Amino acid sequence: MFSPITPAHYLFVGIVLFVTGMICLLTKRNIIAILIGVELILNAANINFIAFSSPVLFPKRVPPLVLDGQIFVLFVMILAAAEAAVALAIALHFYSRFGTVDVDQGDELKG
Amino acid sequence: MIDLHRTLDHLSFSLSAWGPELVLCAGIVVLLLSRMVFPLGRYLPFVISLIVCCLALFLAGPWNGTWPIVGENSVPIFSGLLAWDGLGAFLKTLILGFSALFVVFLWLSGFPKPAHATDFLVLYLGAVVGMCVMVSAEHLLLAFLGMEMASVPSYVLAGFDRRARQSAEAAMKFAVFGAASAGVMLYGISLLGGVLGTFSIPQMADQLMLLAASGDYHGQAVILVLSSLMILVGLAFKLSAVPFHFWLPDVFEGAAAEVGTFLSVVSKAAALGLLTRLVLGLLGYGVLEATNAGVLPIVTFLVVTLSLLSAATCTYGNLAAYGQNNIKRLLGYSTIAHAGYMLMPIAAAVAVLFRDASLARWAIATLLFYLVTYLFMNFAAFATVTFLRNAFRSETIADFAGLIRTSPGVVVCMSLALFSLVGLPPLAGFAGKFAIFSSLVFGGLWSLFVIAAINTVLSLFYYVRIIKTMVFDVPVRDPLPQVRLASPKGIFLAVLTVPVIVLGILWQPVFMLACRAAGYPW
Repeated sequence: MFSPITPAHYLFVGIVLFVTGMICLLTKRNIIAILIGVELILNAANINFIAFSSPVLFPKRVPPLVLDGQIFVLFVMILAAAEAAVALAIALHFYSRFGTVDVDQGDELKG
Repeated sequence: MIDLHRTLDHLSFSLSAWGPELVLCAGIVVLLLSRMVFPLGRYLPFVISLIVCCLALFLAGPWNGTWPIVGENSVPIFSGLLAWDGLGAFLKTLILGFSALFVVFLWLSGFPKPAHATDFLVLYLGAVVGMCVMVSAEHLLLAFLGMEMASVPSYVLAGFDRRARQSAEAAMKFAVFGAASAGVMLYGISLLGGVLGTFSIPQMADQLMLLAASGDYHGQAVILVLSSLMILVGLAFKLSAVPFHFWLPDVFEGAAAEVGTFLSVVSKAAALGLLTRLVLGLLGYGVLEATNAGVLPIVTFLVVTLSLLSAATCTYGNLAAYGQNNIKRLLGYSTIAHAGYMLMPIAAAVAVLFRDASLARWAIATLLFYLVTYLFMNFAAFATVTFLRNAFRSETIADFAGLIRTSPGVVVCMSLALFSLVGLPPLAGFAGKFAIFSSLVFGGLWSLFVIAAINTVLSLFYYVRIIKTMVFDVPVRDPLPQVRLASPKGIFLAVLTVPVIVLGILWQPVFMLACRAAGYPW
């Protein structure tokens, strides 16, 4: 009745997330929104990693990334948390100096 | 049981080969604890960091035995996640040598106030561990982790000057662009790993050569091109290559000059090391069996991309440096231009890789040699700027007018550093540029050679303008501040300037070391 879910479905979800994240990065001017866009991109990559290493999605053969992909995801999750912590601290610092989190207000450095 | 023994042997060997990083990690812990034990030791963090950097340098340096040749007999450590070979060891020595000098520099410049020195140095040493991982990564996981370990502390360091508005802006721009480019790079890694079925660079090279030998990319060419471009975005951001350069001038202007020093020298060295490892590693360093027809599209793609990147970066950096009034911003554009020069030998190495692998190693050796000369000349320039900032409370070039009347020694050091950055003989910059140009000639990249030569002439004028202001212009400041050469700061400047002259004349020992590291039979 239903065709089985293939890696391509997962990759498609990944691409949608990636493009959403990219649009978020390019159109939003709020630091927090930009960071959300970055998280979307990181998780798009995570979905790819999982899809490429899942034995369920590759029933007939060994998945291309056996355990590597899953280990990669764990590291990326930790790293995303660390990066978010630093970026939010910097956003707070920026807010306390400029009174806004709009990146376009930071325009004192140019030339 | 035998398996267990072998694993333990491998682990103990890996840990011993990873000595410098372990020392750095231990140093970070000691630094953090030292504040609790000796809350009043004002200069203790500097002393601890200096000892840690020197010890790590001693462990990483070229004085213990010979290095394995990268790609040929490089020793895998931690089951192939990292490699121990000449390229990594040379760059680690460079990074750690810089770090030892950098700690002394911070001490002299007084930028992180002693109360904040621990924070600054912990972040700095953390970034150094990341850079050491970058230059020895043989697995994309470690390559990515190393890049992030080096980047994330840099964002904080850029915003370390907590009172300045500009510093906050610089940190914000750096963090936002950095996080975005890291995300794009990770997505590229996920695609490349998925297509080639592994993240280990040597195994990826095997897969790629198999694909090339079959001559049929099965429609995977699009994904290969896309994913490699995405990975290049992350590296181009770290290298500040055009079109991902826009953060660098702002960060250099907003952040303290000390942070700029670190970002412009070792951060670039680590990124170039990783780029070399990725690009040449994925092509198997020319050691693997390859049919020329099959690899030709890959080689052409890489050479064209890298050449365009380096030509654009170099030209843009040199043109935009005109008309800058802030000296840190000018040096930022100069850094961009030099990133362009240093990308050129990598393009040349790829171009000759399958024709004559030893010439590719020559190209890598010229890159390594240029990095050594670049370290001293750029460090000397940035150190002068920092000390002048302390004396003048200003970073505008016009304010330094007539400096030669009060501080002739410092002006001489700065002039030597700037002339070396132009590439005038008999200074180190000339030897470095000559080496890089030779690799372009051997690589047959004549158009790149011409662009680099034109750029060298272009760069002359804005460097000379600084010297002209310092030497000939009438002072605008009264009284004119002074930085004496016979003071700790002046002696530090002199120590950085002496290699700029010595490497220009006696370049052979260092160049031979670079050749040994890259595996070129000298």
